[in-house]
Amino acid sequence: MATNTETTAGPSSAEEHVVIFRLAEEYYALDIQAVQEIVRMQNITSIPGSDPWVEGITNLRGRVVPVIDLRRRCSVSVNEHSPETRIVVVSSSNGMVGLIVDAVSEVMRIPADQVEPPSSIVSVPANTYLRGVAKLDDRLVSLMDLAGVLPSEEPAYAEEGEQAVAA
Amino acid sequence: MAMGKGQPLHFELDDDDLKLFCEEADEQLELLDAALVQLEGEHEPDLVQQIFRAAHTLKGSSATIGHKKMASLTHAMESVLDMVRQGKLAPGAHVVDTLLLALDALRVLANEVVTRIDSGTTTERLEADLHAILAGEAEDDLPLAAVSEAPGAPGLTLPPPSIEAVLAEMDQGRGAYLVEITVSPDSPLPGIRCYQVLQELDAVATVVHTVPERILIESGGGEFSLTAVITTNVDDEHVTAALAIVSDVSAAKVRSLTPEELAGGVVQTTAAQAAASPAAEAARPRLSVVEADGPHPAARPAEPRKATQSVRIDVERLDGLMNLVGELVIDRTRLQQIREHLAPFMKDGNLTELAENFEETTSHLARITDELQEEIMRSRMLPVRSVLSRLPRLVRDVAAKCGKKVDLQTAGEETELDRSVIEEISDPLVHILRNAVDHGIETPDERRAAGKPESGTVTVTAWNQETYIYISVKDDGKGIDTGALRRKAVERGLVARETADSATDDTVLQYIFFPGLSTAKTVSDVSGRGVGMDIVRTNIERLNGQVTVRSVKGKGSEFIIQLPLTLATTKALMVMANDTVYAMPLVSVTEALSEEEADIHSVAGRKTLRLRGRLLPVSDLAAALGDGRSGLVEGPRFVVAAKHSDRQVAFMVDRLLGEQDVVVKSLGDVIGNRKGLTGATILGDGTLGLIIDTASLVSEQAQLAAIA
Repeated sequence: MATNTETTAGPSSAEEHVVIFRLAEEYYALDIQAVQEIVRMQNITSIPGSDPWVEGITNLRGRVVPVIDLRRRCSVSVNEHSPETRIVVVSSSNGMVGLIVDAVSEVMRIPADQVEPPSSIVSVPANTYLRGVAKLDDRLVSLMDLAGVLPSEEPAYAEEGEQAVAA
Repeated sequence: MAMGKGQPLHFELDDDDLKLFCEEADEQLELLDAALVQLEGEHEPDLVQQIFRAAHTLKGSSATIGHKKMASLTHAMESVLDMVRQGKLAPGAHVVDTLLLALDALRVLANEVVTRIDSGTTTERLEADLHAILAGEAEDDLPLAAVSEAPGAPGLTLPPPSIEAVLAEMDQGRGAYLVEITVSPDSPLPGIRCYQVLQELDAVATVVHTVPERILIESGGGEFSLTAVITTNVDDEHVTAALAIVSDVSAAKVRSLTPEELAGGVVQTTAAQAAASPAAEAARPRLSVVEADGPHPAARPAEPRKATQSVRIDVERLDGLMNLVGELVIDRTRLQQIREHLAPFMKDGNLTELAENFEETTSHLARITDELQEEIMRSRMLPVRSVLSRLPRLVRDVAAKCGKKVDLQTAGEETELDRSVIEEISDPLVHILRNAVDHGIETPDERRAAGKPESGTVTVTAWNQETYIYISVKDDGKGIDTGALRRKAVERGLVARETADSATDDTVLQYIFFPGLSTAKTVSDVSGRGVGMDIVRTNIERLNGQVTVRSVKGKGSEFIIQLPLTLATTKALMVMANDTVYAMPLVSVTEALSEEEADIHSVAGRKTLRLRGRLLPVSDLAAALGDGRSGLVEGPRFVVAAKHSDRQVAFMVDRLLGEQDVVVKSLGDVIGNRKGLTGATILGDGTLGLIIDTASLVSEQAQLAAIA
C-alpha cells in the first residue's frame, strides 16, 4: 500500500488538492487546478441531435459554455435537479466546459499515500476517466481524470483537401 | 550554432522584441512581394526606393537579432537592388525572378525566428545567383535611365514661422546653429540613431526645424542624414559633445547661424542631401483604374495615401472589445424590456418625472450603444487591399507555369471588411483566380487566332453594397463551355440526361460547382483536378455568402463572391420551434408566413408548399435538426421559406419572433460542429438561441425530398 505509483500532476506530489462532488450516491474528485468556478444550475439550451450526455450550452457571463451531464457520462443514475445541483466549470484543452453534478461537498487535500490505482476496485470502462481511488475516513472518493471524461476531439468535417477524382 | 534541419536556433530577442520583429518583417515582406512584381514592368524611382528600403530594413532587423543567414541573404538582395536603384542594372525577368525566390526563402527564414527551429533552407544557391547578377552576368539589356534622386536642395529652406521663431530667440541672446548629422551607412539601425540624435538635441537646445520632419524621426523613419536648426544657450562644442554620445554617427557638424542668413530663408548645408520620398509612405502597388460596367460602381483612381496617425492594436484586444460591446447590446435590450414592463406602473402621477428620466436615459443608452457597436465593428475592418496585394504575384506565377500571358487589374482595394471575413475570403479568391488563369485565359497562340490581344486580362473588383461585400473576378478568356459541362455532368451521373438537356445555359453554368467536375482536358498541377469549385462554394456559403458565375463562350467569365461585411454579427429571423429559439440568417430566408396563409398540399405523402410558382418541400424545423418532440407549443404555426443556391425548401416553426442582429458565438469544440447549426447567440433575456446553418439544412432537406 505504501508503494503508490500514481503520481499527481502538480509539483506537490505528496498530496492531491481536489474538489469533491457527488454523483448520485458516489463521491468523485477533480484536481482543483482544473476547476474554474462552480455555479448553480441555470438555464441550459439543449442542442437537438446531440449526444445524450451533452446537456446543451449555457451563458456564462457572455460566454457560450457547453455543459455535460456528468451523471450520464459516468453512467450513474440521474436524479431530478435539486437545490444542490451544481455546474462545475472546468478548463480543458477545448475551452471551458460545464459539468453537472448532484452536489459539491468540499475542497480537500488528500495525501498521496491514501490513493490507490483504480484497477483494483472498479471494472474496465470506468478506468478511462478514473485515475485513482482515495480512501477517506468515511468514504471512497474516485479521482477523476478530466481528459478521460471529456469527449475526445474529432475533426468535425473531413479534411477539406482536394479529393482526387478520376479525370 | 547547431546547423541542419530540425536543429534548435538561438536568437537575441525576448518575447516583446519577437512580436515587433514579426510585425515589421511581415510588413516588409508583404511590401516586397507586391512591389517586386511591379518592378518588372514599371520604371518607377519611388517604387525602387521603397523596395530598396524594405530590403534594407529587413537586413537591419535580422542582423540585430543575430539571424546570420537572413541578414546575409537580405544583404545580397539589397546590393542587387542598389544597382537597380542607381540605374546600373535593369530589373528584367531574371532579376525579378531571383529576387522573388529570395523573398520566398526570406519568409521561411523569418518564420525560424518564431519556431526557433532550423528549417533547413539553404541560401547559398540564391546568394550565388544574386552575386552573379551583381557581377554583370544578368541577361538583361539596356540599363534603365539612372533612377534620379530627388534633386537635393542646395540648402535648407526654412518656413517663415520657423525663421521668426529663431530670430526671436536670438534677440533674447540665444545662439542659433545648423546641425548636420551623418549616420554611418553600415549602421543597422539608422532610424533609432536619428531618434537618439533628436533626443540629445532636445536635451540641450530648442529644435526649431528638422529635415526629415520630427514626426518621421520620432516614428523611427529617419535615415542616414539629419539636419536641424536649433537655438540654445550653450555653445557649439557643447552640442557636438552631446551628439558624440550617439553611436554610429560618422559625422556631426555644428555651425552657428547669423540673423542675415536666416532672414534669407535658405540655410546653406554642407552637401546636397538626397531627400528620397518620405519613408513613412507605405508602399502601394500601382493599380490600374478599371472601366466599370453593369452593377459595379465606377472604380475610383488610386489616391495618394495620406500619412495617418495610427496605433497598433492587438487583434485579441479588439475581439475583447467586441465581446464587451456585445454584452452591452444585450443589456440594452433587457433595459428596454424592463422599461416596457414598468410602463403601466409608471403611469402614476408621482412617477411621471421619474418615468420621463428613465425613458430618456434608456433611449440615450440605446443610441450610444448602437454607435459604440458600429465604431468597434468599423475598427475591426481592414481594407481588402491586404488580400488583393498578394494577387499580382500569384497571377504572375500561375501564368508563367501555364505559359500564358496575363495582366491583372484590381479596383476597390480600399473597400473595407471585417477582419474575420478577410481571413476567409483569401482562399476562395485565390482558387478562382487560379482557375481563371489556368482554364479561362487561352494561350497567346489561341488568343491571336481568336483576334484577341496576346495578353489576357483578369480584373478583380471589390465593392460594398448595403451590408455585403462583393468581389468580382472577371477574365476575357474563352468562357465556360456549357456543352462540355452538360456532357460531363451527365457522364458523372450528377444530373439526369433529360434535366441537363432541357436546362438553360445559366443553369448549366451552375454545374461548375458540383463536386467531381473537371472539363480541363489535361490535369494541371496548378489548380488541381477541377474539384475545387464545390469546396469554394461550400466554404463561402458556410459564411452566409454566395458565389455566382456568368459566362459568355469565347468572351470570358465572371465569378462574383458575395459575403456579409462581418461574420461577428448577422441579421436573422428569430423563430421558435418547441422550446428553443433559433436564428435563421436573413440572407437565406425568402419568406415567412402563417400556416393559414400558406398554400400547403400533400403531394405523394409529402407536405408541399406552393409559393410563387414553385413547389417547396415542407418539413418541421425542429425535426430536421434532430429534435423529435412535437406539440409543445400550442396554436397556429408558421412557415419559413429558405433557399440555398438554387434549392428552396420550407420549414414549419411554432412562432415568429421578429428580425434582429445577432452576435455570433461559437458552439465550441466539445460539442463539435453540430449538424444544421453554426453557432449560438445570447438573447435579450440572457438565454441562448441557436444559429441555423441554412445552407446545409436546405441542401439536406432538398435531397431528402428528391429521393422520396
